[in-house]
Amino acid sequence: MANKYGLIDPADPALRDESEVALATLVSATAGSSKKIGAKMIVGKSGRIIGGVTIGGCVDAQVVEAADALFDKDDADRRLLSISLDDDEAWEIGLTCGGTLEVLLTRVDLGAADDPTIAAHRQAMELLSAGEPTAIVTPIQSGAASYAAAIDALDDASLGDRTFVDRIAPPLTLVIVGAGQIAMSLTRMARELEMRTVIVDGRDRYATRERFPEADDVLIGMPSEIVGAIDANRRTAVLLLAHDYKYELPVLRDVLRKPVGYIGMLGSRKRGVAMRDLLRSEGFTDEELARVHTPIGLDLGGKAPAEVALSILSEIVAVYSGKRA
Amino acid sequence: MTAGGGGGAYRRVVIDLFRHPKNRGPLPDASASAEGANPLCGDRIRVELRGDHSHVTEARFSADACALCIASASLLTERVRGMSADDALKIDAVWLFASLEGEPPPGRRKCAILPLDTLRRAVAALPPA
Repeated sequence: MANKYGLIDPADPALRDESEVALATLVSATAGSSKKIGAKMIVGKSGRIIGGVTIGGCVDAQVVEAADALFDKDDADRRLLSISLDDDEAWEIGLTCGGTLEVLLTRVDLGAADDPTIAAHRQAMELLSAGEPTAIVTPIQSGAASYAAAIDALDDASLGDRTFVDRIAPPLTLVIVGAGQIAMSLTRMARELEMRTVIVDGRDRYATRERFPEADDVLIGMPSEIVGAIDANRRTAVLLLAHDYKYELPVLRDVLRKPVGYIGMLGSRKRGVAMRDLLRSEGFTDEELARVHTPIGLDLGGKAPAEVALSILSEIVAVYSGKRA
Repeated sequence: MTAGGGGGAYRRVVIDLFRHPKNRGPLPDASASAEGANPLCGDRIRVELRGDHSHVTEARFSADACALCIASASLLTERVRGMSADDALKIDAVWLFASLEGEPPPGRRKCAILPLDTLRRAVAALPPA
């Protein structure tokens, strides 16, 4: 996509040479869709295709055709495309998904500073950069211009009929305490998942740029003080990978009373019980202690550092997707 | 004094001071401070002092460190309060291990010594009287 949020930035090199694009957004699906509502595809007037509203095949092809048709009309900037997935032949052999998808196509003039979509996306980027969960609101029924708003500031009652609210979350920030081998694998994989990574350790021979070229930050010092100074929110996940109580205890004392979305700690079940017992004796409640995922990660069975990293990231994806982990 | 690796008294002292350390936490308006780290095991400690060369009026420490390191820091910050800088610089490992009621095993000595080294640097940084 044009950027990690799927928002259009006219300065993005991926859009060079394009004067106009059509932004296609999946706004509804009556059957199970292969992509999330809000999935986006950009179709350039020159033919360039970025992203996709489905995992491929005939639907995206129809969206590209509709986008090309939109460029040929001077009197329309937006179109709601309804696509039936009920293909007779495919149905016969049991290879159809069935249902209907709706895709909203919006024409965007990349050269116009006052293009309403670009303005809304710019505003959304500013909100997201400030760590604010954001929505782009598109009144489909009225045809009014899209706009961006902080999700907390949205008033559902005032949205009106047939309004598409595209919720965009800031990226997850993984605060990783312990600059060992699992952390090295994890930062590489997290980059592919578009998560921010912050490596924290007290040991300057471990927490080096050479070992963590993909990390967004490598911070050396007293881990509890570093983590304590991080402005944590629900999109912050704290991973205790040092396997050393000297870091785990002080960091847990801090993060257990912060609104972070995920806390995971490397170690056996027995070790987790001991850690919880110790913190309970200091006054932490069972509810607070239940927030710690330990042993960390989904049980995939792997033992190699990269396999453990994969299991940890799998658990984080599950937790933030609302699945039980 | 007995070797501490597994010794009952030594172990009790270390665990008790780890769970209930004295003087832990930052010292506002410190006159001098020093940080120390064991680069491979990852112990990190900061010792902060209030006072001057003639008299240490207050001593506290902050640490993400093992039980032995924290026990040692607790004992040392208790000991140094009220001392002159010259006397504080005379505190040594012999006193420390006696206070721990045992000598740490060879591989752990650095954990106990880190707060002592850090305290000495903080004392050296105190302003003149």
